[in-house]
Amino acid sequence: MLTLSGIEKVFPNGTAALRGVDLTLVPGRVHGLLGANGAGKSTLIKILAGATAPSAGTIILGDRPCRFASPRDAKAAGVATIFQHIPLVPTLSAFENIVLDERGWRRGGDRRRIAALVATLRDPFPLDALVTDLPIGARQMVTIAQALASGADVVVMDEPTASLAGHERIAVYDTVRRLAAEGRAVLFVSHFIDEIVALTDDVTVLRDGRVVLEARTTDLTEGLIAEAIAGRAVAVLERPAQPRRRGRPLLTAHGLTSPGRLAPTDLTLHEGEILGLAGMLGSGRSELLHAIFGADRAAGGEVVLDGKPVGRWPDEAVAAGIALVPEDRDTQGYAPQLGIAANIALPQTGRLLIDHAAEARAAAAAIVRLGIKATDGDALPVELSGGNAQKVVIAKWLRPATRVLLLDEPTAGIDIGARTDILRLIRDLADEGLAVILASSEFSELVAVADRILVLRDGHVVATADPATCDEAGLIVLAGGGRPALENAA
Amino acid sequence: MTDRQRIFGLRAAGVYYALLLLLVTLAAIAASRGLPAYLSAQNLGNIAYQASLVGIMGVAMTVMLITGAFDLSVASVAALAAAVLVGLAGRIGFAPAIVAALCTAATVGLVNGVIVQFVGINAFIVTLGTLTAVRGLVLILTDGRSLMVEDPVVLQQMLAFESTRVPLFWPLLAVAALLLAGGVAKRRTPAIMAGGIVAALAFLGGRGASVAAPVVYLALFTAAVGFMLRFTVIGRRLYAVGGNAEAARLSGINVHAYRLGAFVLSSVAAGFAGVLFGCRLGAINPTALQGTELTVIAAAILGGTSLFGGAGSVVKTVVGALLLFTLTNGFNILNLGANYQGLIEGIVVVAAAAIYTVGGQRRRAFTRVDTAPAEATA
Repeated sequence: MLTLSGIEKVFPNGTAALRGVDLTLVPGRVHGLLGANGAGKSTLIKILAGATAPSAGTIILGDRPCRFASPRDAKAAGVATIFQHIPLVPTLSAFENIVLDERGWRRGGDRRRIAALVATLRDPFPLDALVTDLPIGARQMVTIAQALASGADVVVMDEPTASLAGHERIAVYDTVRRLAAEGRAVLFVSHFIDEIVALTDDVTVLRDGRVVLEARTTDLTEGLIAEAIAGRAVAVLERPAQPRRRGRPLLTAHGLTSPGRLAPTDLTLHEGEILGLAGMLGSGRSELLHAIFGADRAAGGEVVLDGKPVGRWPDEAVAAGIALVPEDRDTQGYAPQLGIAANIALPQTGRLLIDHAAEARAAAAAIVRLGIKATDGDALPVELSGGNAQKVVIAKWLRPATRVLLLDEPTAGIDIGARTDILRLIRDLADEGLAVILASSEFSELVAVADRILVLRDGHVVATADPATCDEAGLIVLAGGGRPALENAA
Repeated sequence: MTDRQRIFGLRAAGVYYALLLLLVTLAAIAASRGLPAYLSAQNLGNIAYQASLVGIMGVAMTVMLITGAFDLSVASVAALAAAVLVGLAGRIGFAPAIVAALCTAATVGLVNGVIVQFVGINAFIVTLGTLTAVRGLVLILTDGRSLMVEDPVVLQQMLAFESTRVPLFWPLLAVAALLLAGGVAKRRTPAIMAGGIVAALAFLGGRGASVAAPVVYLALFTAAVGFMLRFTVIGRRLYAVGGNAEAARLSGINVHAYRLGAFVLSSVAAGFAGVLFGCRLGAINPTALQGTELTVIAAAILGGTSLFGGAGSVVKTVVGALLLFTLTNGFNILNLGANYQGLIEGIVVVAAAAIYTVGGQRRRAFTRVDTAPAEATA
């Protein structure tokens, strides 16, 4: 039905996202696509959707090669893509969203056809309900209906279950199976290995822009898939042979919870300890960090630092010595109009006048210590590359008052050099006595630097792992499979 | 972007050029028609006097816009403060009446801020509501008629507060000397140039020049707020709250407190402008200052303040207010046909916004290319 051969993608800045990918989708079969962050999954999906053009390689649809110049082309050719972040217009009804791309004068569309189509879905929704009033699972169904309404033969689904609850996931699984049974080819992208094993007929695993595994699902086990995802990837950092010593307990949390996103969680953190949080997107790792930091107004539970309870607002947490490096540095990490020096000095309290000279010195010191590639403290963080901007956000908290450092995916989307710098810095800081919690979906990093790893899934801590005895593949199984997730979630 | 462009570029210094160009043009027209010299100390002082109320409100509005919020209610609050002052001055004395007027204004600001921050309604809508409601309150208080101060002693105090003329020569020279010394010591070109301009103004005006008190109040208020924004931690946090509220919150900044503070400052400044307005006439008409809020916002926009928060300068806002009132003053003095005035003012505001926006887009396009690697590897 759809064959990709030798697809390559090199971005203008020289980054190669795909280096020759072959993939064949067959009508009536569900094809699973897996890979770690940065393996090239998203780029491949964008090429299929017509959102970006490949640098080399051909797409063969049916029996003739084709080029998608725009998303409309891809849709017209019968390839429908369902993106992870659901692009719906919240103020229009479900029906209006489904027929959003229709042309012509009359507003109304072919209501009977759409109604019949929606009725075949496992989890039908009222057509006239506003999307904003629908639960997230029903919204996912709307996007599926949107894709089907265009009469697609090939359906690409990018992590359709990442943000769904258990019964909503099962509805999506049923729908996927039905799509295949009706003779469509489905490409199902997911982080969850058990989902892939239970649902798909064929599996392709990407790593560093190449296909490293392609096989029938029945010939595979979760362990084999996890190994293929992790690969013999270049170890970012070697784990030191000696176990690091840790100090006395510093921070304890009791019953931290956030409705619908994090089940009650207790944890203890020691001086000089690096506690890893392993989990996929939506597993509750960010929610746990935000709950500790007091940044989540809906969260409950208590945090005790050095015997004293910490208030449940971020400014109180900062005053107590807790620091958070948030997941999305662009929208949560820095103020874009302020220079590096001013951004670093933001948490500073206890003085009224700005000491420009001292701040310039502090910025210069941070630039040297963290290896930030910037001319001076006046440079704006938006002008820096991702890795350097991240170092600025971390530098903000490298002050004597900080005693607990919470890091949420500090190495996401940054190059290997900056990544190594940051991991090495984290280890040095812990050696100096700082207590660190490091949340990451790059499990190799956790194995390399953490002293103890909590594995999260669906808002629960599902396991505690010792990085000295477990490896990346083991963590992938724990965080994305290993348990019969379908029963577990339901 | 080089240092030169950062200081002298059209985006950074455009409002100064515009004011200069306008003054030169008007002076040339005046000379060609054989009218008295346009650039006299007295006329320039007049422009500053006419711009002072809008300038004071504009400075606080700039702080407001920097935090990412908006205040449409300032003119109504000013009228309310004037009504409270005029209504109470005869009974409780001048100074207590000022305090009462400012407290009333602060209360309105607090109400605005609490509704915006804790109920979560957009500031534009909330202050559009208080714009109308507070004007209604003025009508209730005055019963729809003009109020005036009867007591001649109090009236004398009020006039003295508003129209005392302050000699300018020596204070201006002192300010110029401070700016020059500071600029040379820290090697800051803008400070040196500002010092030169102030000194030139002092000599242009001569030793006998003086201005009305509101101009001095405006200068002091601008200096204080400008200093706060530029040199204090509070100022930086205001910029951070407007530039990226989430990053500010996750840096341990109490975003609610800073936003509330901006609302209260805006209303208190409006209240003070109202006090000056009430003192000017010793009376208040319930429809006074109607529509002034738009002039205030226009001044801030002319000064390059971003409506999306995180950027703005109070000095440029004051220059923006001067620009608007120079236009008005020029049309009146040179008799250029008052009918054209509104059209020209509107074009000036839109043209200024266009310059800032186009410049901003070019800059953003440049940074987008820069951040592409992060997206590519994600």
